[in-house]
Amino acid sequence: MVLLDHAAVSQDAAVRVRGLSVVYRTDVGERAAVRSVDLDLSPGQITGIVGESGSGKSTLALALLNAVPKPGRIAAGSIEVGDLGEITGLSGRRLRHLRGGEIGYVFQASQNSLNPLKTIGKQLLDLGRSHGVDDLRGMVRDAGELAGRMGLDGKRVLDSYQHELSGGMRQRVGIMFALVLNARVLVLDEPTTALDMLSQVAVLDIVREIHRERGLATVIITHDMGVVAEMADRIAVMYGGRLVEVGPAVEVLRDPRHPYTRALIRAIPRLVGDPEAASALPGRPPDLVTLPQQGCVFRERCPLALPICATLDPAMTHDGMRGVACHAADGTPSSSEDEDRNEPIQAGGEKTS
Amino acid sequence: MIEATGIAKTYPARGGGLVERRDVVALRGVDFSLPAGGAVSFIGESGCGKTTLGRILSGVESHDGGRLVIDGVDVDATDKHKRRAAFRRVQLVHQDPYSALNPTRTVGNILGDPLRRRARETRASRGWVEQRAREVLELVGLEPDTVLPKYPHTLSGGQRQRVVIARALTADPAVLVADEAVSMIDVSLRLGILGLLRDLRERLGVALLFITHDVATARYVGVEGEIYVIYRGQVIERGPTDQVIQAPVHPYTQCLLSSIPVMRGIEEPGPDRLMPSAGPEAAEQDSPGCLFAARCPLATDVCRRERPVLTPIPGTGQEHACHHPAVRSVVPVPVG
Repeated sequence: MVLLDHAAVSQDAAVRVRGLSVVYRTDVGERAAVRSVDLDLSPGQITGIVGESGSGKSTLALALLNAVPKPGRIAAGSIEVGDLGEITGLSGRRLRHLRGGEIGYVFQASQNSLNPLKTIGKQLLDLGRSHGVDDLRGMVRDAGELAGRMGLDGKRVLDSYQHELSGGMRQRVGIMFALVLNARVLVLDEPTTALDMLSQVAVLDIVREIHRERGLATVIITHDMGVVAEMADRIAVMYGGRLVEVGPAVEVLRDPRHPYTRALIRAIPRLVGDPEAASALPGRPPDLVTLPQQGCVFRERCPLALPICATLDPAMTHDGMRGVACHAADGTPSSSEDEDRNEPIQAGGEKTS
Repeated sequence: MIEATGIAKTYPARGGGLVERRDVVALRGVDFSLPAGGAVSFIGESGCGKTTLGRILSGVESHDGGRLVIDGVDVDATDKHKRRAAFRRVQLVHQDPYSALNPTRTVGNILGDPLRRRARETRASRGWVEQRAREVLELVGLEPDTVLPKYPHTLSGGQRQRVVIARALTADPAVLVADEAVSMIDVSLRLGILGLLRDLRERLGVALLFITHDVATARYVGVEGEIYVIYRGQVIERGPTDQVIQAPVHPYTQCLLSSIPVMRGIEEPGPDRLMPSAGPEAAEQDSPGCLFAARCPLATDVCRRERPVLTPIPGTGQEHACHHPAVRSVVPVPVG
């Protein structure tokens, strides 16, 4: 294995993903939903994974739980999580410990992931029993405190059914479930999509506070660049199963290097300035079947596409804390075998106004 | 094009027995007007009544108070045929392009059905249906030859939403009501749909009623239009789009605008950012005072006693319903 030394990698990572590929069986053969992804998640850091539908962001998150649904499977690479080590082969009790014990997962539309027939408290006890918690009373007390911490009335919430709670409250209950077993890693899949603006702010504030208090390694998976811009320390942009850009949030927003990142930021209408400054990205995101099998996954929509982009998939090259996988942003073409660092040329960092 | 005065709607209580019965007041007397070819946006949280209002204006829902005049026709004081003709001029673009199209019908049939009915009414020639279907597809930026024989599931979300818009255009509408028309669509495709709506307004003179919780998209489609901010069935602030965004005076508008994510690195938070003092569950049911008082960080005694009415601010075209209006700068400010 190549020794990597860059932003996506660090020594004290809570989660260490290397060369991860996840494939799904389709009518046209096995297709990679996630391909050759390297990513580290460190305590105290919020990583925002941004991507559109079909970018592989949710598949990547499910792989962290070793929970890729059939007909998908982890085809290559490794995922090390905290003390558990390599998790791609786990099963039984240790797998259960991973899911909930090490990694707390707040599901997409977690508003709808609660059991409508049981009170929140009963579901909490189920969780405790399935994880072999000895001190259930203590766990319920912790859950009440966590709920109180998030601005909910702990006792009332535990006695409630899901339909008695608003969308924002259910989302907080989802976070409570994710953290009640003291997970060190918190994964939130589209945490605010179904919420309106004010509830979104409230939920994001809570995530930020709990993240700080507990020193979590937090991952927010979203299609909403705004949420990531507001929350994340670090941005990882996915497209067509590839990680195409990674770097400190503020720098990536100010000076995006991958043409896709740049187009995404430019496609967001703003509240100030000329509305015409926003511009649409032509084409459409690929799905598993239309995904190019060769070359760069973004080339068909890319304004900077070069001849080499059709044949050679650009490897990620690094510059300090930043990484980008693009021939055009990088100046010199590189292949997966070529891990040389290249100074990014200014073309990738041109100012957009 | 549309003149609405005092539109009210109450959904009667359902259930009974163990569940407490309580009528749901969706709209409390909304006045609004949409000029021909104009753009109006309704902004508010979920449950504020903005969707109900859009449905009433497009004839999908009835109102139980107030007067609605579409293209000079008072829809409550006319016969069935005239009412139907009036509402046909107002077409609703549904929120969810994944469920708004019949999965067992091709795009050709989806567009052909309403067109064939019109062809019967107007005794149009045989080729008219197909020709018109092609025209509306071209208007929404789709290639007729490739799209006509396709089923909805083979199209992307953005393409489906274009088909939904094309279907609305088959009625030659004077108004398009777009209810959260891009919330289910991929980010990179959203601007394309918004641009299309704007373009239809410019090219065909179709007025646009844009219902959303995202102020920035409302601004993109109608920067020279008007914004109505709706809270619990009442318009609490309205005015020219950029006036309301840059110089909002109602604390609720200010809270909504403050909640827009800041793109750190290229923007800074607005200096006067304001947040509600409580969540939506804090709202009291039957307070005689301001509907927002229970959540308003600036509420005083008078706010809890008396409900403010919409009051114009001279020289701005802006109106507000607040006892303590004050301009605050809350939206993110670009840096550099």
